[in-house]
Amino acid sequence: MADAEPAEVAAVQSLFDNVDTDGAHLQRYEIDGQVPRAAISANTIDDIERAHSVATSRDLAVIPIGGRTMLGLGMPPRRYDVALDMSGMDQVVDYEPDDFTISAQAGMTLASLQQVLAANGQFLPLDHPRFEQATLGGICAVGRGGLRRNSLGGPRDWLIGMRMVKADGTTIKGGGKVVKNVSGYDLPKLFAGSLGTLGAIAEVTFKLRPQPASDQVVALSADSFEQALAASRAAARAAPFLDGCLALSAQAAERAASHGAEILDDRPALVLRASGLESAADEVLASALDAAGLAGLHDPPRRTTAIVESWQAIVDCELDTPADHVRLRLGLPPGNLERARSLIDEHLPEVSSWVAAGDSGLLFVTTPSVDAVTISSLRNALGPLQGRLTIESASVELKRAADVWGPAGPGARLMHRVKEQFDPNGTLNPGRYVDGI
Amino acid sequence: MVRELIDAIGEQAVVWHDEDLIVYEYDGTIDRGNPDVIALPATTEDVVNLIKIANKYEAPVTPRGAGTGLSGGALAAKGGVIIGMNRMRAIFDIDVENKTALVQPGVVNLDLGAEAERHGLAYAPDPSSQRACTIGGNVAENAGGPHTLAWGTTTNHVLALELVTADGEVQWIGHETRDEPGYDLVGCVVGSEGTVGIVTQALVRLVPRPTAVRTLLAVYDSVRQASNAVSAVVASGIVPAALEMIDKMTIAAVEPVLNTGFPLDAEAVLLVEVDGPDSQVEAEGARVEGILNRFEPREVRSATDPEDRETLWAGRKGAIGALGQIMPNYYLLDGVVPRTKLPDVLDSVYEIAERYRLPVANMFHAGDGNLHPCLLFDEREPGATERVLDAGGEIMRLCVDAGGAITGEHGVGLEKRDYLPWIFSEEDMDAMKSLRAAFGPTENFNPCKIFPKGHGCGEAGHQHAQHQIAKFGPKAFV
Repeated sequence: MADAEPAEVAAVQSLFDNVDTDGAHLQRYEIDGQVPRAAISANTIDDIERAHSVATSRDLAVIPIGGRTMLGLGMPPRRYDVALDMSGMDQVVDYEPDDFTISAQAGMTLASLQQVLAANGQFLPLDHPRFEQATLGGICAVGRGGLRRNSLGGPRDWLIGMRMVKADGTTIKGGGKVVKNVSGYDLPKLFAGSLGTLGAIAEVTFKLRPQPASDQVVALSADSFEQALAASRAAARAAPFLDGCLALSAQAAERAASHGAEILDDRPALVLRASGLESAADEVLASALDAAGLAGLHDPPRRTTAIVESWQAIVDCELDTPADHVRLRLGLPPGNLERARSLIDEHLPEVSSWVAAGDSGLLFVTTPSVDAVTISSLRNALGPLQGRLTIESASVELKRAADVWGPAGPGARLMHRVKEQFDPNGTLNPGRYVDGI
Repeated sequence: MVRELIDAIGEQAVVWHDEDLIVYEYDGTIDRGNPDVIALPATTEDVVNLIKIANKYEAPVTPRGAGTGLSGGALAAKGGVIIGMNRMRAIFDIDVENKTALVQPGVVNLDLGAEAERHGLAYAPDPSSQRACTIGGNVAENAGGPHTLAWGTTTNHVLALELVTADGEVQWIGHETRDEPGYDLVGCVVGSEGTVGIVTQALVRLVPRPTAVRTLLAVYDSVRQASNAVSAVVASGIVPAALEMIDKMTIAAVEPVLNTGFPLDAEAVLLVEVDGPDSQVEAEGARVEGILNRFEPREVRSATDPEDRETLWAGRKGAIGALGQIMPNYYLLDGVVPRTKLPDVLDSVYEIAERYRLPVANMFHAGDGNLHPCLLFDEREPGATERVLDAGGEIMRLCVDAGGAITGEHGVGLEKRDYLPWIFSEEDMDAMKSLRAAFGPTENFNPCKIFPKGHGCGEAGHQHAQHQIAKFGPKAFV
């Protein structure tokens, strides 16, 4: 903790190998105002095993950490003694391009992985903010599909194997290195999205896709976010094979433009992405653009050749929330997006930016201020729309008052029992997950 | 107990006379299991009551769908109650706007497909038994099928489940858009082979129907040529909707029954399907045809309209049934290997079958590296079953040594449980068991499945795996 006695800090640090003793460095691992007493750099699975066993035997809380892009996710930690930095484990373990699978250490960044794959005309179909910093382990631990999840799915859909270290220091694996496998329980799916509460992800194996012959992104300006959202729904209906289908408010578009999305400016926009053979991508885009035209978007579509950069700039917006703002993430059936938008408008006095995935049922909302009571009534109002509202970025006070995950769902009973089985002492990431897990 | 079961769900829904129970001793494997009673619930509440009654009498519970399983998952390995889900076969809702379907577990896979098609959508997983197998069984086994190459298996298509756990509690897990915060319990239940609970409702994802589909069929003079063509298609950057192979023995079985027009002296037939927007199918179809032609096929056929495509598929989908032409029994394996290992592994499969003096028919998902060697035999011949099981064990070992796994889509079940230590350590299996324990008192819930032989289960199933393990070592790969 930030205020721990130096002697106490030294005592904790003396227990571990590979300890970073520089106090200033510890600030890098700050989560919701809490700083660990020690930071350990893991370079091998053995390092993780040793760190976990020591921590468990001394009742110290460990938080495995990757690229530090989403440390603000979840509730403030109940305890935080040791940051386990995985970013040193950044190597490819096994890659046979013709098998269309790759195994890599968890600390490798998504961007480095994509670079290795691109040399062989392949890619891992996942969107993630700040992919140059975000690690594979972190992306899997967060476990969410991104803005293209309708067409790409999420980490769970591409993971075929995983090696992880449980709280007691035991290394286990699940899945394998083949694209289709039902041997034993699907532990990789259990760990994907578990936010480091069951074990530290040490190594991941993904199935891969060939890079499409053609990948196209176009943007159209709209008069309002509302209009862009309606057009995104129309486009998604008309062109179900779209790769991506986003509606951005003026502020969101402007921010993405400032990050390098050259097809955007300071107007609300519809952004479409299609891939495949060139003729096919053209065909899909043409039907989507027709639908957008019927929905009232008449400006000529702007195209770009900087596909990855432009798209990533939009994806990165998710993490670009001003410190004093609150970012909400809403997932719901895509057909309910427009009604959800009106409900949010009714509940929040001011919204500073909107980003929606019209085909995927995702809505990111940034607001300068909101209180716990409003969040609670908004959650109630969104219930009938099958909406799940999480708070992604907010002050510690609001996080605690409103519970970032929302009220425990019907599966909570089972989730507590899973945690109890894998980490009975509550060593890993205590308190940050759903329902106090 | 039978009296209580009858009180709970009615006399018509409980089967307990010996002659009626025989029907439930089988699934698609060689193994047998003898249930004491079959209960056929109509509602979730029935399922809860049945489980509670079984628990009261400490009777094992085994969930069962259509009994088409290929690993013994639906067999009552320790007797007790089989809960047959076939009466719960309602399709409650097809949500066209959000592309989902809410169904009961007894719905037949093809019936869901047909209903989705009426709404311009499709249910992607299409196991070859899809005319009979149920969604509940598909969820339990994480079923695949030819079209999972592009679309993934059942686990990629199940969004939420109503689950009755071993302690008789009912709960919904998951969410329509996978946004329920917390652990991916749906991901854990799909593929758990009925060992953690019974699914009573499933919300599944539907996918848009492609506007065009083209099926290509190429006939080759050697399995090697066909395998090389498979590798070339996969390496070309095209992701076909399906990429299947059948070999000479399979051709010999299907041709007389299904009149597929395959030359009987051909060694291998490849089926490749591309789908999507019109222009994509046109261009990819042409490219695939070019690749197939590079490997000197005897002929390449192609079809785009549904009826002609069905004819091309008939030889693949009807293959298992047609094998009865050759021998009365078969043992269907489900190994999976990295794709680049496929040609070598296939060679070895033929070598092993020859060594054990067993005819082998191969029909499989070549694009996924998922092999289905089918060993043919006559169980009336003394020693034949043992020989088949030994050869099966050796083929599984071969897949494991090639960096693969013992099952790609059929499940571990009763059949392969003793082979699990070939790919997982004690620690791995302990972690899996601890996941199972989280679902409640599951020891009596579909017992003797997945995990190696434990106490009380030795009498069920066969002993041959022990022999294979002794031969190859228990942890050669781990």
